[in-house]
Amino acid sequence: MNTSSITEPVLLILLSLAERPRHGYAILQDALEMSDGRVRLSTGTLYGALNRLLKDGWIERYDGADQSRGKQSYRLTATGRRNLQAEVSRLKQLARVAGLRVARKET
Amino acid sequence: MLRLYRSLLALYPAPYRREFADEMLSVLAQVEEEAAHATAWSKISLRTREATGLLLGALTEHARPLTGLSNAPVHFPRRSRMRSEFRFPKATAILMTVILVAVIMAIEKAKAISASLPPSSTPIPPIQPEHFSTVTTFLVILALAFSSAIAGWLVVFMLRRSGVQRFSDVRPAGTAAHKS
Repeated sequence: MNTSSITEPVLLILLSLAERPRHGYAILQDALEMSDGRVRLSTGTLYGALNRLLKDGWIERYDGADQSRGKQSYRLTATGRRNLQAEVSRLKQLARVAGLRVARKET
Repeated sequence: MLRLYRSLLALYPAPYRREFADEMLSVLAQVEEEAAHATAWSKISLRTREATGLLLGALTEHARPLTGLSNAPVHFPRRSRMRSEFRFPKATAILMTVILVAVIMAIEKAKAISASLPPSSTPIPPIQPEHFSTVTTFLVILALAFSSAIAGWLVVFMLRRSGVQRFSDVRPAGTAAHKS
């Protein structure tokens, strides 16, 4: 996966794992909170994305946290963090241009 | 409800199930615990979303090796990037699939009709070509080209890619500035 194929759910998952390792349900809750209740991921969507991110080496399994009741945790790899930083920079630049354009239109 | 989720998980490919089914069931159980305190409408909405997500996820995981889209975000409807102007339209792919299916069905039907006919003892005489004049040939070619052009335009119009539709979307530069 390259950064050009990052979707909003994947971005939220990566941002959730950027802070600390999390298990599936915690990622769902964090994505909901980060998007201000707008993006409620389904379990099928979450694990489809996790599977893809694991295969691409952006995230890895993490055994340090609570693993009771099948709570497998995940964390970002160095590659994942680097790609996330690139995506965040792209979004910042886009938001900056968007702000300038909107301001220009209103005056 | 967990029984339904478990049966939907059974639709996933075996390697995927081995890797994620237990974790997914654990998450679904937590989601159900959370739903216990929700309103009836929230429960319906949440369960519909989870069931649809599992169904689409299973379809995607089965389709992945067939389509070769191992890295494509095929089941994520909300993209954070804008759509490219030059993306292959989904409607075209659907139309082409429908045409392909129709052609295959026509071939199969023709084979069935051919097989159902009794064997003829009299040999079929060779087909003699019709002798057209130059003018007739020209008119026939013209009619064929014209009807092909109309058919092509209709397809483009149905896909909302015709020049008329593109022009209707164009707004003159500075329109907003004049209004304000």
